[in-house]
Amino acid sequence: MINRKLVKFLSFRYVILALLFIILAGGLVLLPKFEKQEGIKPEQLLSNIISPERYITTDELADRIINQDPSLLLIDLRDEETFKKYSLPNAINMPLKNLFDEDSSAFLNQDAYDVVFFSNDNFDADQAWILCNRLDYKNLYVLKGGINRWFKTIINPPHPKENMPLEAFKLYATRKAASMYFGVAYPDQVKTNVPKRPRPTPKKVITVKKKKKAPEGGC
Amino acid sequence: MGPLLPNDIIPFEWSSIIAIVIGIFFGFILESSGFSSSRKLAGVFYGYDFAVLKVFFTAALVSLIGLLYMDYLGYVDMSSLYVHPTYLWAAIIGGAIMGIGFVAGGFCPGTSLCAVAIGKIDAIVYVIGIMVGVFIFSELYSVFEPIYTGYFYGNITLVDSLGINPYWFVFLFTIAAVIIFVLVDMIRKRVKKVFY
Repeated sequence: MINRKLVKFLSFRYVILALLFIILAGGLVLLPKFEKQEGIKPEQLLSNIISPERYITTDELADRIINQDPSLLLIDLRDEETFKKYSLPNAINMPLKNLFDEDSSAFLNQDAYDVVFFSNDNFDADQAWILCNRLDYKNLYVLKGGINRWFKTIINPPHPKENMPLEAFKLYATRKAASMYFGVAYPDQVKTNVPKRPRPTPKKVITVKKKKKAPEGGC
Repeated sequence: MGPLLPNDIIPFEWSSIIAIVIGIFFGFILESSGFSSSRKLAGVFYGYDFAVLKVFFTAALVSLIGLLYMDYLGYVDMSSLYVHPTYLWAAIIGGAIMGIGFVAGGFCPGTSLCAVAIGKIDAIVYVIGIMVGVFIFSELYSVFEPIYTGYFYGNITLVDSLGINPYWFVFLFTIAAVIIFVLVDMIRKRVKKVFY
């Protein structure tokens, strides 16, 4: 027994399939557009943010600058004005709001250099780090404490108290030496060429021996 | 999530096994839909059978639409799929030679192996011809090399080079395919019936 209705339906099978095709393809055009998730996955980003591995201490940074590490790329995220006042040696000024300008991606998206972000504190640098990490840029670091901590530890290291352990004194000595590299002068290290005052030559006292007067004959 | 292999959801070592399984199914379906017959394949050039055109066009569109939907829903990352590199003139010349071989021999390389598997003599001769061609090409590689490796355009797609929205492109492509299918059917009805 042939189901006549089914036969009639199946005679249109190619038309139906063609229509299905067009509807599916048209559905693609009508799909609501949405911003695609760029960069790494949110879970990955979260675990990266929690990890403290991105921080580089001021001592470490000073050590690398002094040893003239060629793989170091310092990026100053503060505005231009403060950058001009003071910044780390060889730093590049890239204010946070200009972070994704066209010419800055060449500095950030590479894997030849270790990029170290810093600002006055580490908050701006952390933000920049998160933004760049999300885009899966490599070798990014944040200077812990930023310029403020740089001043407190390297430029103006606190003198250890007398009851502190030996390590504190050693650290102080290292920091002091580092600060001298960055141009801080210490009064106790200052070697001034004080012109030697010519030693006053003792006056030769020529004592003229008085000739004993011969007794003069008195009158 | 996907693609499965690059994202290590399926270990890389499985790739050859998966390829063999897919290949077996591909060959089986090719054979069972009659693509091991050189008369059926050559029919597309003489106008009495357009099964090849319809099948491959439909397969391309199904996978394209399916991939775009899966990309939209986040199951497959289309940007990490492999795109075959374009060597423009090598592709044009190679395509022309393959087309001539297709008309003359009645097989494309895949279906010829499929037909060898069921013991067709013409297909065996065809595959020997392929081997001779491969041998000549390898021997004269230094002559062909400038064309073979030249005119390199990178891993580009039509969507990239036309700068068009992929969804619109697929939609227009689908409509074009349906129109082609209708036209091809009209041609088939006009051409004298060939029994094969």
